[in-house]
Amino acid sequence: MRFAFWRRKQRHEQLEEEIRSHLEMAARERVDRGESRGQAESAARREFGNVALVKDVTRRQWGWIWLEELLQDLRYGARTLRKNPCFTAVAVLTLVLGIGANTAIFSIVDGVLLRPLPFPQPNRLVALTYYYPKGAFVVMRDQSRTMDVVANTDSTEFNLTGADLPVRLTGTSVSANWFAVLGAQAAMGRTFRDAEDRPGKDDLVILSHSLWQRRFSSDPNIVGRSVILEGISRQVVGVMPADFRFPSPKTELWVPLDLDPRKTGDYWGSSYMPVSARLRPGTTLEQARADLTQLRPKVLAAFGWRMPDDIWVKSSVISLQEAIVGDVRTSLLILLGAVGLLLLIACANVANLLLARAAGRQREIALRSALGAGRWRIARQLVSESVLLSVLGGALGLGTAGYGLSILKATLPADMPRLANVSVDTRVLVFTALLSILTGILFGLVPAAGASRVDLTKSLKTGGDRGGASGNSRLSRTLVICEVAVATVLVIAAGLLVKSLWNLSNTNPGFRPEYIVTARITPNESFCEAAGRCQTFYNDLLVRVRTLPEVKDAAAVNGLPLSGIWATIPSDVEGYAVPAGAHVPMLLERVVTPDYLRVMGIPLLQGRSFTEADTAENAQRVALISKSTAERYWPGKNPIGEHFKPRWMSQWWTVVGVVGDMREFSMTRNLADWLDGAIYTPYGPHAINDSGPERPPAELTLVIRTSQAASQFAGDLQSVVSQLNGDVPVTQIETLHGWISEAVAGPRSTASLFSIFAALALVLGAVGVYGVISYSVAQRTREIGIRMALGARREEVLFLVVGQGAKLAAAGVAIGLAGALLLTRLMDSLLYGVGASDLKTYAAVGILLMLVATAASYIPARRAMRVDPIVALRYE
Amino acid sequence: MANRYQNRIELLQGTLDLLILQTLRWGAQHGYGISQAIRANSGDILQVDTGSLYPALHRLERQKWIAADWKVSENKQRVRVYRLTNAGKKHLVSERSRWAQLSDAIAGVLESAKKESEA
Repeated sequence: MRFAFWRRKQRHEQLEEEIRSHLEMAARERVDRGESRGQAESAARREFGNVALVKDVTRRQWGWIWLEELLQDLRYGARTLRKNPCFTAVAVLTLVLGIGANTAIFSIVDGVLLRPLPFPQPNRLVALTYYYPKGAFVVMRDQSRTMDVVANTDSTEFNLTGADLPVRLTGTSVSANWFAVLGAQAAMGRTFRDAEDRPGKDDLVILSHSLWQRRFSSDPNIVGRSVILEGISRQVVGVMPADFRFPSPKTELWVPLDLDPRKTGDYWGSSYMPVSARLRPGTTLEQARADLTQLRPKVLAAFGWRMPDDIWVKSSVISLQEAIVGDVRTSLLILLGAVGLLLLIACANVANLLLARAAGRQREIALRSALGAGRWRIARQLVSESVLLSVLGGALGLGTAGYGLSILKATLPADMPRLANVSVDTRVLVFTALLSILTGILFGLVPAAGASRVDLTKSLKTGGDRGGASGNSRLSRTLVICEVAVATVLVIAAGLLVKSLWNLSNTNPGFRPEYIVTARITPNESFCEAAGRCQTFYNDLLVRVRTLPEVKDAAAVNGLPLSGIWATIPSDVEGYAVPAGAHVPMLLERVVTPDYLRVMGIPLLQGRSFTEADTAENAQRVALISKSTAERYWPGKNPIGEHFKPRWMSQWWTVVGVVGDMREFSMTRNLADWLDGAIYTPYGPHAINDSGPERPPAELTLVIRTSQAASQFAGDLQSVVSQLNGDVPVTQIETLHGWISEAVAGPRSTASLFSIFAALALVLGAVGVYGVISYSVAQRTREIGIRMALGARREEVLFLVVGQGAKLAAAGVAIGLAGALLLTRLMDSLLYGVGASDLKTYAAVGILLMLVATAASYIPARRAMRVDPIVALRYE
Repeated sequence: MANRYQNRIELLQGTLDLLILQTLRWGAQHGYGISQAIRANSGDILQVDTGSLYPALHRLERQKWIAADWKVSENKQRVRVYRLTNAGKKHLVSERSRWAQLSDAIAGVLESAKKESEA
């Protein structure tokens, strides 16, 4: 390397000497012809032309010159940047913000959306849209011609009892072929084998690596041991590797699906689950879709009753990755778009700084070009300076990206798929490196293009910074207008999201969440098989809870609103004929103790509420329905005294009252779109069990009206429960407000991230306006001086300058508003209770931006106001 | 300014190479000498720009058609002298025949045009 440099230096010297000898010989010849020495030399030089340029074009023939010039440019750039520490600091800081934010968001987009699933041949893995019951899965698994079909339930919870305190674990039930088809191997022991999902063979479990470490202290002999889950002894057959987090990052154990056709309700009715598959070699996605179409009638024929004609008509085959990522995709892409805009603002800002500086450097550039630097060479010099800046910004940005990523991970909803695996890695490094270089070229090219077009004579003669400055300042005004426009778009987007969030959080959920603490009580499923045992347990529990200090009231329900727990009952409604092609009524069932409505503050609109008598062994089968259910199935009629029943049963339930609708599914929708109504049945022997004959559900959630904080309450509650039964875990001790806040976690995270971006955009935009106006004030000092000498008042000068800033801002805001009208349509799906073109938000943001821009130009305007005409005129 | 030189290089590229190689057939010569020789031999019609000459010399050297040595001139000055290599000689032969073809072809076209206009 050193040798190469030495040789290159030698060549430079040789070229120098060669040209010198040329000039010398030419001059000597002229002297011989009788010219004077001085005349001859200058004539020879004139004839030769631009020595520096000749050297430059000659050197270019040597090859590899660009590398040398690049190094030269970079060295020179570094020197210039060191000489202007203030400029460098502002520019680098701006870039750190822009590039850091982009790197952090990109690492999430990459980890969640782009990175292939961690299985062999991940592009062959597909998922069916819509959920299917176990029976349907078995038909498809056995009869598909194109796919190896597997199924796993959504997260299910299991009690682990035995040595320590009972704990609640999150697991999933999977078909026996699930691991093999995905291509996942156990770290210890084995995965499930064929037919291990049939009744009698399914008392097995596979542990996650973290559960094995935490709960079984990394016992090397765990395989073959038995553990008690939900009161059932299961043999541990394997432990998965640490990085296997599927289907959810929370999954701690896997058990085989219990595929028992004899449990009709469970097998065909209630346990709907996602179905996925691996395409068999040689088959395409289209073939798989066609296959699904021909499987559908076979699936429907296998049911014991007639299913709605349109069920699964729209079910299709999509890539598994797409299915997992789902609607997170939109939010992430919108976030990526937002940080992209932020980076654009940062670029415009730095470009402006460079422009302002380029104006001051015009003499330098004119001199360089007079000395023979080509236009391209000068432009390249300027661009390499800006690339140096952006690479510096990128390097520091990368440092902050790690920090930003941890903020992001904390802000984004924890259940975002694959989020846990996201980290700043090589791919992200490459992205940041490319981004930095591109950014540098982007913001460097604008001033470079302007600067390299410098008018030589003019710049050198006037000696000042006037030549070409008008072109540059037009450019920088344009940049500021763009900046303000982009900031306007971002602030509007943030405004809309914050407004949606506010609307969401202040929606009346249909119940009164104040002062309510909830707790999930989860005895084993088998605990309730003995008649009356569960009922006695919960009655005793509620009695004891009511006697706790500060407790005003208590009740229980099988699933809280917004908790994601629901029992779905396909039903017959008396007097309601299912229209051709429509599906049977799918009703959400909430099993409640008689006091539930009162504790939750749910209004009774018609009829009567439940009483203790409704929970007795010989009681009549009664139910309450929600208002919209009444309107849907008994429109214009009094629903009291009408009947409905689960499809698989013969007894009818009588409607005795109507209650208000509430946000059962999410804060935006009362019910999920596959549900048609909601019914409430009393907790007693006639509670509808979605997996078969009537039986009260084992797991209930207590709702307790108390003035105490949930955390203080937890200890009391735990001890009350363990006094009654030592094997029953108490989990999810939380306020009802906590559930609501969890339900809006997604919108909240998007809104807070957007607010951060918008604030940054606002600050950067203000800095941009400030910079341009200050620069223009500095340029116009003389003009302002003349104006004042001619009698302009100070306020007039102030207005002149602020007006200039306001004009720029107005143009930017106008463009931004128009842009926002177009762009915010993309985020329609993220908005609630506010239109994408909400007038109030647009107006407020427009005014805000104008105020900020005016304030930013006020500071330089004050400076202009204080210009002393005499000093200003003498200035040159 | 830069453009002026660069256009010239492109315009003259092939021809200038041929002229340089041809000039060097009569013996080693330095850059100044080559430009003077071309000028003299063309009856002062062809003036070689230094901005084209030196890049061309260094390019030909890189292509190994000419080689350079340092010599001391009669005025006791160190000068860089170029000479034709064997590869350069072969290249010159083929370039000359190509040039002859080209100039015949152009002459042919001009000739026929002349006849037509006379007829």
